[in-house]
Amino acid sequence: MRLTALCIVLAAVAVPAVHGEAFDQAVDNETVEQYRLAMIEDVAQSLSGARDLRDRLSKQDFAGARKAWIDARVGWERSEVFTSGFVPELDEAIDAWPDAVGGFHGIEAKLFGANPAGVDDEADALIAQLADLDARVRTMKLTPQGLLDGVVRLAYEIGDSKVDGGESRLSGTSLNDMRNNADGIDLAYRILFASRLEIVDRTAAERVQSGIGQLKALLTVADLKSVDADNLRKTSEALVVALQAAAPELGLGTPTLEEAAR
Amino acid sequence: MTRRFRKAALIVAATMVLSLRLAASFPIYGQQTALPEGSDLNEQALDVPREIFRSESAGGRKSYLVNLGDLAFNSPSLLGGGARQAGMSCGTCHVNGASNPKFYIPHLSTRPGNVDTTSSLFNPHADNGVLDPARIPSLRGAHLLGPYGIDGRTASLRDFVRTVIVEGFAGPEPSAALLDALVAYIQDIDFLRNLSLGPAGRLTARSSDAERRGEVLFVKPFPHDPTMSCATCHVPSAAFVDHRPHDVGSGGLFKTPTLLNADFNAPYFHDGRFDSYDQVVGHFDRVFDLGLSPDDQRDLVAYLTAVGDGERPYERDGVGAALKEIGDLASVLDTAIPAHDTGVIALAVDTIDRELRELTEQFPDHKDPSVTGGQEERRRARAALKDLVLRLSRIGFAASAGQFDAAIVEYRNFRNLSLAAVPNLLRAAQRWSLFNPAVRDAHYGALLQMRQTANK
Repeated sequence: MRLTALCIVLAAVAVPAVHGEAFDQAVDNETVEQYRLAMIEDVAQSLSGARDLRDRLSKQDFAGARKAWIDARVGWERSEVFTSGFVPELDEAIDAWPDAVGGFHGIEAKLFGANPAGVDDEADALIAQLADLDARVRTMKLTPQGLLDGVVRLAYEIGDSKVDGGESRLSGTSLNDMRNNADGIDLAYRILFASRLEIVDRTAAERVQSGIGQLKALLTVADLKSVDADNLRKTSEALVVALQAAAPELGLGTPTLEEAAR
Repeated sequence: MTRRFRKAALIVAATMVLSLRLAASFPIYGQQTALPEGSDLNEQALDVPREIFRSESAGGRKSYLVNLGDLAFNSPSLLGGGARQAGMSCGTCHVNGASNPKFYIPHLSTRPGNVDTTSSLFNPHADNGVLDPARIPSLRGAHLLGPYGIDGRTASLRDFVRTVIVEGFAGPEPSAALLDALVAYIQDIDFLRNLSLGPAGRLTARSSDAERRGEVLFVKPFPHDPTMSCATCHVPSAAFVDHRPHDVGSGGLFKTPTLLNADFNAPYFHDGRFDSYDQVVGHFDRVFDLGLSPDDQRDLVAYLTAVGDGERPYERDGVGAALKEIGDLASVLDTAIPAHDTGVIALAVDTIDRELRELTEQFPDHKDPSVTGGQEERRRARAALKDLVLRLSRIGFAASAGQFDAAIVEYRNFRNLSLAAVPNLLRAAQRWSLFNPAVRDAHYGALLQMRQTANK
């Protein structure tokens, strides 16, 4: 169901309606709304995972709860393209780090620890937060600039050192986080910006697409220790530089690296 | 200095929660790290060894070669194997050219401050199958301290550095130019000034009676071998060394270490077996049957402490120190870009990039609930540093494409920003950064709590 919806979205943007013609605005509303569908789907996936997590906890099925936690992270990490820019307060509550009290990592600290019981309240809170996000993502005002900023920020962040084990070190799933971040970048770029950039500057488009592909390839390794961190950092920066260079051609300003810096 | 592992955190002992002060260390944890769980590179320290250079002490400036050597010394790309994977560089062990008394890697260290450099983690081909850790020595005054290696097996510093890189740490064969630079850098690291010592290594008028009595004992012939005294090997007029290996009852022949600035070089002996001068003096008293009374021993320790002193041995890490270091490292681009030296440009971009990213981590983002206040200032600081990283990247991309004019333009922008706008933004945010001990305690306290929660 989910994949089907995504394919429809991608098919819709694969052939631009107005080849070679000037766009009225950088990325039209229709395209942004198409991306919203993907956003809704990712948040819903995360919320569903969190609810599954809660159910498993009720049944004292901690192995299942751990799996559900990992599943819930997929949609969340893909959503990081827009969460820090558009809903920073929810971003902070849901993904606070380091924090042993709430959010994903508060739950992680207990669930993947020596005594996984006793995170029911935290799971309830996470569900409420994700439900809030689920509601807001349907109506929040989205801007192409804010979304490009989010793509660029996340592309930069992937290049940060994970030599200490990364963000999800207790569950050992930091590599998953990075892969899902890369998928989120890929999805947002393809839906929102790829078609237009291919029209106005095919070389730039190829550079960006190649950078995303390299990023994903570098994350296709057995474990976090096997990641070529030097290459990943360089690739991440090359991608950010390429996106920054492409921004004017997309009719947008140079993306910022921090959400409130603009 | 490299700032890796800033975010890494584990306190094994719960009692350490009460001592989350500057002395606290934060070993890494988890199964996904390049180094074994419990490793501690001591890179969260706020007070770091002060590094002074002979060229600057003489009123001059560090040369291009010294700055290039400093750059290489702090670049993981110089090494290979597990060290590179873990983001380690020469500077990880020799912090600011000094030692690292808290450095510890399980299975490679028998105590903090030593490490086995013949192990499979660093180079499978150099693994001798024996746990034989060596103390991490300070490199201060290295130009006076040859031959090199704990056993003094290598006369040439250049040869020794190459061997450490290639054989000990599985690094790629360094170029001749890079080896020259590393040697220039190491030879420029000076001893800290010691006002207790005058010409020829003699105590000055400011010394105490106990120190003077200790000095007399230091040169006094041994009871059972009148040809020997402490000063026979630790020659006061020659930086307290004799450039030779000796068997002092510690299990082999080991080179005489300098006593200058040695107050900050613990642990002592080739394997770091002793924590204090008391233990060292006690060892010599036993092995050489010196017949020292408790008062004699105290006087010798007082003397050693005076000889081993140094002016302002540590300095507080902060925005100013970090940016000065980055500025010094970046200065090699003044020469390398016009010279179209793509190798040095790539090394500089890679090394400074890491430094800037790690400096960024000193300014926690909005997701860190342990830090309150200054969120806008922190965001601006992070944005400014990320902008510098990308400008640096563009220098690298331009140079590798042969566009050196574009690289120079980008470098000028980088320099201008890093000299004025960026320092101002970082200073404005410093009070909410991990350079502030209270913020640091809160941040690492949260990490500690997370770990403890998992262990409950």
